[in-house]
Amino acid sequence: MSMLLQEAAVGPLPEVSRRPLRTVLRHHKSGLIGLGIILFFIVIALAAPVLMPYSPTVQSCAVFAPPSAKHWFGCDDGGIDLLSEIMLGGRISLLIGFAATLVSMVIGGGVGILSGYFGRWVDIVLMRITDYLLVIPPLAFALVVADVWGPSVVHVIIVIGILQWAPTARIIRAQVMTVKERVYVKRVRAMGASDTRIIARHVLPQVAPLLVANTVLTVAVAIYLETTLAFLGLEDPSSVTWGTILQHAFDRAAVSAGAWWTIVPDGIAISLLIMGCFLLGRAIEDALNPRLRVGHLSTRRWKLRPLVGLGPDAI
Amino acid sequence: MRSADYVIKRLAFALFTIFMAITINFFLFRVIPGSAVTDLARVPNATPQLRHALTVEFGLNDSKLHQYFTYLWQLVHGNMGISYVNQQPVFPQLLNDLKNTIPMVTIGTVAAIIIGVFFGIVSAWRRDSAVDHVSTSLAIAFYSFPPQFLGLVLLILFAGTLPSSGMEYALAGVFGSVGFWSRLQDIGIHMVLPATTLCLTLYGEFTLIMRSSMLETLGEDYVLTARAKGLRNGKIVVRHALRNALLPIVTLVAMSLGWIMGGAIIIEFIFTWPGIGWAMWEAVSQRDYPMLQGGFLILAIAVVGCNFIADLAYFKLDPRVSE
Amino acid sequence: MSLLEVRDLHVWFELPNGTELHAVQGVSFDLDHGERLGLVGESGCGKTTTILALMGLFPPSVSVAGEVIVNGENILGKGESLIRDYRWKELAMVFQGAMNALNPLMTVGRQIVEPMELHGIASGAAARKRAGELLEMVGIAASGADRYPHEFSGGMRQRASIAMGLACQPKILLADEPTTALDVMVQAQILELLVGLSNELGLALILVTHDLPVVAQVCERAAVMYAGKIIENGTTEDLYHRPRHPYTRLLFATTPDLYDDDDVISIPGVPPRLDRQIVGCPFQPRCDSAFERCSSEQPALKSLDVGHSAACHLNDVPVSVTAKPESSPRNGQALDAVDGSDDGS
Ligand SMILES: Nc1ncnc2c1ncn2[C@@H]1O[C@H](COP(=O)(O)OP(=O)(O)O)[C@@H](O)[C@H]1O
Ligand SMILES: [Mg+2]
Repeated sequence: MSMLLQEAAVGPLPEVSRRPLRTVLRHHKSGLIGLGIILFFIVIALAAPVLMPYSPTVQSCAVFAPPSAKHWFGCDDGGIDLLSEIMLGGRISLLIGFAATLVSMVIGGGVGILSGYFGRWVDIVLMRITDYLLVIPPLAFALVVADVWGPSVVHVIIVIGILQWAPTARIIRAQVMTVKERVYVKRVRAMGASDTRIIARHVLPQVAPLLVANTVLTVAVAIYLETTLAFLGLEDPSSVTWGTILQHAFDRAAVSAGAWWTIVPDGIAISLLIMGCFLLGRAIEDALNPRLRVGHLSTRRWKLRPLVGLGPDAI
Repeated sequence: MRSADYVIKRLAFALFTIFMAITINFFLFRVIPGSAVTDLARVPNATPQLRHALTVEFGLNDSKLHQYFTYLWQLVHGNMGISYVNQQPVFPQLLNDLKNTIPMVTIGTVAAIIIGVFFGIVSAWRRDSAVDHVSTSLAIAFYSFPPQFLGLVLLILFAGTLPSSGMEYALAGVFGSVGFWSRLQDIGIHMVLPATTLCLTLYGEFTLIMRSSMLETLGEDYVLTARAKGLRNGKIVVRHALRNALLPIVTLVAMSLGWIMGGAIIIEFIFTWPGIGWAMWEAVSQRDYPMLQGGFLILAIAVVGCNFIADLAYFKLDPRVSE
Repeated sequence: MSLLEVRDLHVWFELPNGTELHAVQGVSFDLDHGERLGLVGESGCGKTTTILALMGLFPPSVSVAGEVIVNGENILGKGESLIRDYRWKELAMVFQGAMNALNPLMTVGRQIVEPMELHGIASGAAARKRAGELLEMVGIAASGADRYPHEFSGGMRQRASIAMGLACQPKILLADEPTTALDVMVQAQILELLVGLSNELGLALILVTHDLPVVAQVCERAAVMYAGKIIENGTTEDLYHRPRHPYTRLLFATTPDLYDDDDVISIPGVPPRLDRQIVGCPFQPRCDSAFERCSSEQPALKSLDVGHSAACHLNDVPVSVTAKPESSPRNGQALDAVDGSDDGS
């Protein structure tokens, strides 16, 4: 789980089509699946209070009760219905995921645009910081910061946001540098438009779709980091998130009790959401940067057609 | 000359990054208000003597700038402070932990690279075939599994068959009567689950990257040239496509080392593997800040070091590299 | 017997959306020993696909029909595995934009030696010696064999590609736009080199380009392609002085701008899409001499003089219009009248 796939995709962008998202969804089925998964979890998170079959704080069944018709995902060590807990947990996990992504987009997008647009020393300074963040082990860093600051949702959001902006900044910078060289941008600048105006009117719209793809992929990473920090006990222990559900299962001997249902549904929820973000993000990138190239390997013989009816006068 | 220049540049970058890590470390632990080391009230079971010793050693009553230089000076001498918990120097303890982390992480990562590269090649070669679809879907699934989930699942699946923890005892037996081979076997058995978890969480991503890199390469003109020369597909892939497709992988693997280390922390935590990740987690739960600080620094240095090695490897593989 | 005979070659690409693109639509031509043939036409008209077909180099989603006869054997009937023995030995190729045709991670020498060893021409020290000689033959010092492609300039890389093409002493060299992306001086040198080698070694050459004047300079004969078909075929003399197809005439008329590699040809309009059925003459929408019949009936390639054929309905009417380019629009009107199908003006 990392941002590698994004890094791999950096290349010059073609001019952006007018309705990128629509093209993406029409031509990349996996993107549609990804979007479906994300929307599914968002709806569940929003409607959790209504949808939850039981209270996520009050005991409603036996300790480690296995899945049953009444409790689809079984119960945890406190006799709390896991389905309800997962529904509720999604709220905070998603909130942290999106909020942290917003932080990293603002920082990363800003740094990328400034760096790519102004170049020179602005670029040098910002890119050294970016380089540093790219090599530093993110989880270890998050561990240190979250520990020093103390556990809280806001801290986790800020930590993840700070950790995640570097790849975004790099990608956006590369694009801004190419956009900047486009003829019409040069022309507008020659006509005396201010930098702010050029960035807002001409650079941002061009990099926006890529920023969206990047955002979606960053959400996946943020959710991963959130569940991991929570799993390591670095989140407010009283809050229910997908990460703390796994942590409780691990802490409270669910494994030795063989209570797989405390782990599997929750883990699948995390994995599915990450997968959904990945599929959508990749589809957007593919649409932006289509690789039409054909491979030059031959996998089978070519088909030889008979010439029946194809003579010079047949067509 | 080209090579000397290049090595010096990369080395300078690596050293600079390490210096940044050290400095940021200082800020995190000393300068940010309420941060750990300055606030000795947060040190668990601190005797007045310990407090006094810490105050003197880190110059806590001096100015921040002075403290910073003291800190750098101590670091240069391999002093990362004293553990709050056992009051022993941090550095030798961490080095010892690193000895346990390195084999597990190396085996897991190398296995993931081999498997990922293999399936990536097969997928690209047989693009859009059933094999490609299955391999790509599996890769996406494993890419999405967080290591803690996969680790717990393996833990449940192999409960009773493979040891899930207890590596400490295996290592404790180092000086006991057990022979070298049975000790190795013991360590090996304990390593299966953690290394497998790490390998599985990593291989999917490597597969996806290798596949797209290979597809890109197979579309290059020199592959068509090779085919026009009359080479068979196998030779084309091995001789012309593979090395070219591996180039971006070298960089990307190096760039993912930070994430690999993150995975290692969780995996050590789940399987009680007495490595640096475990030490860091223990430090977190016991508020042993010097240990945590040292662990982070050592991980950062390890990752930067591996990046440096990857840079050198890239240089060796690609004759075009010159800056 | 000709060295190479192409008979009614068709190539279809299966497109991802399920339709087919008919890239080459019944191309036929001959090539004799030592002959230099130009294959000319706008970008996208199927030149590359045609010459790749001569070596059986198709992507997986292709179907083909027709015959490519080398040494009396139809290689298209053989399938990928058997055709491999022909590649580089009978026909070798110099690719478009040699920038990427050489593997960046292998020394130039090894890449020249590779086909020699594969086809059993030479191996070991002998092959390396021959690689050095080949490089010298194309104007690169033999020591260049130990260098990597990126250390060469664009022109040198193209020279090295040519040396690589000669490695197995092929009888035919296919050169696909060998001079695009090179500057004008270097272009001229490469063309000169190709002519020299062809004369010296008795090498037959197919030069693919979108630049008719280049063909006139290098080749004795040329085939003009449009929308997947050869629409005129003849000596470069004939094509230049007596074009029998308006497209050929217009190609010569629009003298390319030497400093602009792309869009050298600027006949108004665009070629038709090849993934659709074309009714009538494919050139009709852009033709300055089109008349009624052109929009309904596709002209066939007809032999007009010895060694000169064209596919244009104008050749069926007594007055040769194409020879008088200046007056063609008026002639076009006149033809409508002659044809008797005047739409009642
Ligand atoms: N691999 C392919 N798949 C689908 N269509 C192709 C492929 N290669 C070429 N084409 C199409 O075939 C036609 C002829 O292309 P090409 O032979 O490259 O033309 P030229 O070399 O004359 O520029 C074009 O319309 C092109 O779009
Ligand atoms: Mg072409």
